[in-house]
Amino acid sequence: MAVAAPTTTPTIPRPVLDHIHPEPTGFIRKYIFSIDHKIIAFQYFITAGLFFIIAGLLAEMIRIDLLKHTGVLTPNVYNQVYSVHGSMMVWLVIIPFVSGAFGNFVMPLQIGARDVAFPWLNLAAFWMFPPAGLILLASFAFGAPDAGWTEYPPISLQAPFGTSMWCIAIFLIGISSTLTGINFLVTIFKMRAPGMTFTRMPLFVWASAATAGLNMVATTALAAALLALFLERQFGVPFYNPTKGGSPILWQHMFWFYSHPAVYIMILPAFGIISEVLPTFSRKPIFGYKMIAFSSVAIALLGFMVWAHHMFTSGMAPWLQLPFMIITMLIAIPTGIKIFSWMATLWGGSIEFSAACLFALGFLITFTLGGVTGFFLAAVPADLHEHGTYFVVGHIHYVLYGGSVFGIYAGLYYWWPKMTGRMMNERLGQWHAWITFVAFNCTFLPMHWLGLLGMPRRVAMYDPEFEGWNIVVSVCSFFLAASTLLIMGNMLWSFKNGKKAGPNPWGARTLEWMISSPPPYYNFKTVPAVLAAPYDFGNPLPYIGLDAEPGAMEATPQSTTGLVHAH
Amino acid sequence: MTTAAVEHGHGHGDGPDHDDGHEEVIYQETRDMRLLGFVLFLCSDVVLFSAFIFAYLYLRGTIDEWPPILNGHQLPRLDLPFAEFNSIVLFGSGVTMHHALENWKHGKVGRFDFFMGFTIVLGVMFLCGQGYEYSHAAIGGWSGSIFGASFFTLTGMHGFHVFCGVAYLAILWWQTKKGHYDQTHYFGLTAGTLYWHFVDVIWVALFFLFYIF
Repeated sequence: MAVAAPTTTPTIPRPVLDHIHPEPTGFIRKYIFSIDHKIIAFQYFITAGLFFIIAGLLAEMIRIDLLKHTGVLTPNVYNQVYSVHGSMMVWLVIIPFVSGAFGNFVMPLQIGARDVAFPWLNLAAFWMFPPAGLILLASFAFGAPDAGWTEYPPISLQAPFGTSMWCIAIFLIGISSTLTGINFLVTIFKMRAPGMTFTRMPLFVWASAATAGLNMVATTALAAALLALFLERQFGVPFYNPTKGGSPILWQHMFWFYSHPAVYIMILPAFGIISEVLPTFSRKPIFGYKMIAFSSVAIALLGFMVWAHHMFTSGMAPWLQLPFMIITMLIAIPTGIKIFSWMATLWGGSIEFSAACLFALGFLITFTLGGVTGFFLAAVPADLHEHGTYFVVGHIHYVLYGGSVFGIYAGLYYWWPKMTGRMMNERLGQWHAWITFVAFNCTFLPMHWLGLLGMPRRVAMYDPEFEGWNIVVSVCSFFLAASTLLIMGNMLWSFKNGKKAGPNPWGARTLEWMISSPPPYYNFKTVPAVLAAPYDFGNPLPYIGLDAEPGAMEATPQSTTGLVHAH
Repeated sequence: MTTAAVEHGHGHGDGPDHDDGHEEVIYQETRDMRLLGFVLFLCSDVVLFSAFIFAYLYLRGTIDEWPPILNGHQLPRLDLPFAEFNSIVLFGSGVTMHHALENWKHGKVGRFDFFMGFTIVLGVMFLCGQGYEYSHAAIGGWSGSIFGASFFTLTGMHGFHVFCGVAYLAILWWQTKKGHYDQTHYFGLTAGTLYWHFVDVIWVALFFLFYIF
């Protein structure tokens, strides 16, 4: 094969990289307690997918309640429903999806590794996740948590036993995140293919590294906050109860010290997915590789210095408001760098509007809107008006649904052929993208107006003047929920009818596309040497010594969407 | 696809490329990965303690006078001389652990056994001392005030780490008897020493914050 002149010596012996574990043969060791990162990724996909359905149904219960201004559910049930909906979506759906599932499947393949650094730790981390979910769901039997996903004391101190179960569940999933973070960081630092320097890593790997660092550091702070809440609830140890000298504000500090970085734990991998999807489908090198890579790290670092912007109305020290406002606004700079780099990547490309690409483009629009409303909320004077209203609900759904979930969908359509070896129905996927995009915006855009008009969040009943918009929002949310059926049906369809994908259906250039679909147990027959970052469309592939799957290295793919004619 | 070309098995000298040098490189690389992973684990553990230390300082900052007032009486300060004695016990165990590892590296197994045993005894002594202090600290118990909450939670977490450390060192000692380590391959002992020093360093912070500050 033709490659550019090597700039490094490619044949450094890397025995750990070359070492191959024997493949297990028993069903249990192969599919249930597997140490293979790909199987574990599938387990995360399936489990998080099930929790996504449950948490989505809870969301629809919220919307059914809000169809009438007098409410449909009892306020008590309503409080439990939205609290568990939020907790599940954050900890049991999005974080496991982006780190556990995509991180596990894609990251080792992209760096040319045979597995993560500590496969047994990976196995242990996964198996903390389903019990955590079951404990949280079981809390409905004991009086589920009802103070929102943030569980502010003193309300959370007075709630029944379900809130203690919430503590245990989130503690477990937190340990799982921490272990995964440590595992991924060691993998990325120590197990890259020869020649893959940091600035030759695919951008999803950069995003995974930044996320792993956040997981490793921030999640332990949450563990401390949860432990203190649990001790106070069960043993009366005073941390948060003001009548015994504690401080409810302390919980807010400790909680948001984790939970603000957690929003970057949820969005950075989605940034990584978008950075892989857009160059592939516009057939152009990524614009500003280093800026995108470094801005992930900048966001991760700045993310630790902004937590108190959630607390402007909590009665914290007023002199702290200004620095927190300014640092929060500074995060718009690295984020803006990413958005503009992606737009420049698209500029002049021959864009193939596949389902994955449509979701990535939708992400650019909805996430930017969510970022702009985030800027509003970061400004102290505006926040005093918007805090605790539906404006906040609209904002978080624009960044978490329009950001993280759109990124997850883009990644699913993109890597599904690699994971299963079969193509999804492209037409159906495009319908899914369009319907989701329209239904999403109709659902969450009006929430901003409701919030600015003063409709409070987390209340089962509301002023009759808001009823019109709430009916619109609820009806659109039913369409949004129904659109999820399209991708589920598409997955089932692909197992039976999907075209065989071949190694590289999109003509992408990162390492995972150079091997068969689905990848063999050992991933790579020989670990290649890497000469450059992978995004130079139009140039030969920068890999030496790669035993590529036949057909994987063709520079121009066969179009699978039938939409590209501009050759 | 054929897998015949890549199935080396587990690599115990069953092929021409699995000579001793190869095994050695695998050991070195695996050790480097484990070391990094272990250090990262300690970093996340530091955050756990830091969060509780933050909580302690925050709560302490909410009242004018320290120690706080419980039931109309100001609580006493903690017993400094005893804590100094107990600290010396723990720091001493750090010194003996260091000597244990150095002696292992130089192949002096007898002296290693002496220092390892000494370390474990000192660790147990520290735990007993903490138990004594818990039973004599008249600060209103764990759930009495924010003083008790911070003190017993933080030192309790530290004590739990010491307890785990003693168990860990005992297992390592047993492993040396089973021949898990030799003079150049002793990653477990390195990790154990790192962990033990980590526990020491946390105690330095707690000692200053609770007894001096």
